Amino acid sequence: MTLDTKQREGIEIVGLEIPGYGSGKATAGKPGLYIYKEVGMIGRNSKTLIAAFIFSLFVGAPGLAAAQSRVAIGVTETMETFNPYGDSVSLLYGIWCQVLGCLGTYDFGKGEYEGMLAERWEVKDPKTWIFHLRKNARFHDGSPVTAADVIHSFNRIRTDPQSKQKQNIAPIASAAALDQYTVQFTTKQPTAPLTEYLFDRFIVTSKAIYDKYGADVADRKYPIGSGPYKFKELIPGQRFVITKNPDYPGMREKKQAPDELIFRIMREPEQRVTALLNGEIQIAQFIPPHLRERVEKGPNSKIAPTDSVEIMFLAMSPKFKPWDNKLLRQAVAHAIDRDTIIATLLKGEATRLDGPIGPGQYGYSPNLKPKYEYNPEKARQLVKQAGFPNGVDVDYYTPVGRYTLDKQISEAIVPMLNAVGIRARLQTPEWATLWANVQAGKVPFYYMGRGSVVDPSVALSQYFETGGSPRIGYSNPKFDKLLAQERQTFDPAKRKKVLSEAMSLLTEEAPAHFLWRHQMLYGIAKNIDYKPTPSGRIFGDEIRVLR
Amino acid sequence: MAAYLVRRLAGTIPVLLLITLLVFLLLHAAPGDPASLLLSDATSEADVLEARQRWGLDQPLHVQYLKFFTAAVTGDLGKSFRFAQPVAELIATRLPATVELAAFSILIAVTLAVPLGVWAGARPNSWVDNLGTSFGLFGISMPNFWMGIMLILLFSGSFHLLPSAGRSTYGVVGAQETGFYFLGSLLGGNWPAFKDALLHMAMPGLALGANMIGILMRVTRSSVLEVLHEEYVVTARAKGMAERRVLWRHVLSNALIPIITVAGLELGTLLSGSIIVETVFAWPGMGSLLITGVTSRDYPLVMGLVMMYTAAFVTINLVIDALYGIIDPRIRY
Repeated sequence: MTLDTKQREGIEIVGLEIPGYGSGKATAGKPGLYIYKEVGMIGRNSKTLIAAFIFSLFVGAPGLAAAQSRVAIGVTETMETFNPYGDSVSLLYGIWCQVLGCLGTYDFGKGEYEGMLAERWEVKDPKTWIFHLRKNARFHDGSPVTAADVIHSFNRIRTDPQSKQKQNIAPIASAAALDQYTVQFTTKQPTAPLTEYLFDRFIVTSKAIYDKYGADVADRKYPIGSGPYKFKELIPGQRFVITKNPDYPGMREKKQAPDELIFRIMREPEQRVTALLNGEIQIAQFIPPHLRERVEKGPNSKIAPTDSVEIMFLAMSPKFKPWDNKLLRQAVAHAIDRDTIIATLLKGEATRLDGPIGPGQYGYSPNLKPKYEYNPEKARQLVKQAGFPNGVDVDYYTPVGRYTLDKQISEAIVPMLNAVGIRARLQTPEWATLWANVQAGKVPFYYMGRGSVVDPSVALSQYFETGGSPRIGYSNPKFDKLLAQERQTFDPAKRKKVLSEAMSLLTEEAPAHFLWRHQMLYGIAKNIDYKPTPSGRIFGDEIRVLR
Repeated sequence: MAAYLVRRLAGTIPVLLLITLLVFLLLHAAPGDPASLLLSDATSEADVLEARQRWGLDQPLHVQYLKFFTAAVTGDLGKSFRFAQPVAELIATRLPATVELAAFSILIAVTLAVPLGVWAGARPNSWVDNLGTSFGLFGISMPNFWMGIMLILLFSGSFHLLPSAGRSTYGVVGAQETGFYFLGSLLGGNWPAFKDALLHMAMPGLALGANMIGILMRVTRSSVLEVLHEEYVVTARAKGMAERRVLWRHVLSNALIPIITVAGLELGTLLSGSIIVETVFAWPGMGSLLITGVTSRDYPLVMGLVMMYTAAFVTINLVIDALYGIIDPRIRY
């Protein structure tokens, strides 16, 4: 769907695009050659170009917009629905957040949550959160963003039949507008990590437009938000185009931020790399380690790495024998040479985890104990102490093609386990099957990742708290107590201490052995300055077009 | 002829019934539950139950199938679990991309393979024949996903001649309303959009058609070789008819039946091949939709698409059968 021309920022000047010729600055209405920055390498009809050029020199180009800088991004996730609440993938959260607007975001540089529509927030009592909205926040049609819009969005997330985001407001019992710019959320339980649930996730849409047109028309025809970018075009399965909103506070100063961002679906890594080298896209998400060299050797491309916030681990479900034996679980932790796997298979593009989380994630402490060093001798002893003098046979499940080199990593892990007496049979079911079985708690021993771990509270609860989910089936009253305590501790320093204690206990108990966080490699054109974020969201105002 | 077509059309109903039943059973037999795959990680048990109820998954299998089939015959393919949109609507948005790609592949295949096959058949064991045969063998042997990746590396990666993926360049406004970018821009005389659509379609079209080129070329060659030994060809030559006329008028028209049969069968293969090629080239057609449907166990979407593919296959065969009668006047139904 495309907005009609009047609604668009700027004008498409197809005949004037000169691919590969860089860009020029022009002023609206002045004669001159108007060049888009990035349009791919396909040549245009030269006669049209010359004619347009001469025309613009002599007649001028009244009404034509200034030179547009475009950045196209090759992305891997889906974009299939116009409903901002109809999907739950990090790419779309990022796009909707900068188009429609969201309450706040996590600043990975500062390591803290920052408000967007919310100017500030406070915890009135352990179950009551007050969010104060920015009074100058405006929708793209000029109307103010108010508490009523936040409440409306909360209701849509909760009741829209297409909503896939109910989990983001799961801890909230009710929402109320205290005045035009103040919202109160009452949680079911004291929930200190509430911002982890809401920020970068809670998309605010206009109540007035919804009331006037209804969900479907409002989403498809009037995707008017309050973010630093505006909706321009969404073709499901193909691309999502957004344009700069100069009226957003601070956007006029960000002159180098691209005027247009085009998110193009490109699932195959080869495709993204080729398109980057070809000049069709300027940012390519998730370059696998083996393609890194091609990008680095490209004359106009470079690699930008970032640690992901996805933690990779081996789950050992104590519900099943022999994994009910802690010594055997610890033996696994000592048996795997993570450093070698990172150095060889992953070509150094992963950060080893000592404990559930690593640097940059909320509550990380480098001094977390215990640390498991690679020690096959100790692992062999532990297997014997666990009551398996002749070793033990286990099935080991791995996804294939879901995570970076997952199968190859598992193929390297199996002989390491065999060497200490844990004879592992590698099982490689199709993802849908494996995931359904993991969710139902039917898989005893598996390689897996948990994404979006900024504040670890939610993930730890989901995988390790009693009743969190059947995935691992671990249950430890002491751990449960610590988690409940950290959720009720609103002082950040104290909360981090309790979190550390919980993570230390978990590492010692080893219902999962935490392995590493993959480094995500982004391929970036040399004329683009961009530092990718661990969460995978891409904000236009964090990109700078250099020339 | 009309009675024959009606008979054949009636015969498609049990085919559709059987195939959809089979796919339905296979889908449900495959492990993996749509609710656990489609709903978010942290969805509550109550929400999962509600979703299963909303999707009708709480009902017995035979009830689910009967509901699907009775609705499908009235044109209602249900609502996709994944996209919460009517399946028919989803297919309608993706259908033009697949149809254009398939048609373009056939066009490439027929225009390349038939003349090459005739040429090779007319001069057996010559260099043309050897070259054509090797070319054909190459086409048959190459898996289309590999061919696609090689084409991307060559024409986009090395020569920078063609766009590596997608259907259109952003900013080149083509016939987006109908979804037929190529045909729409051609008929509308929108040349920049036409060129853009053509450039985008060149590689996926070739990758998809390569296999068909190989097979068609070989069939044409052997069919031409066979007909060349017929008495009427000798007679035509004895009459002093020009060789070119002998070849195109007498040989090719008589060699067409096996060529068309194989082309029809290959069309079916082409439809299934498009599922992979569409993924390689980020082509937004039915194939990539089917992959999304299967991996997320979106039953209505997969069933709807399978019905479409089946209907297309049956229709193609029907058209081929009808064509026999036109090409060979001796064939009467």
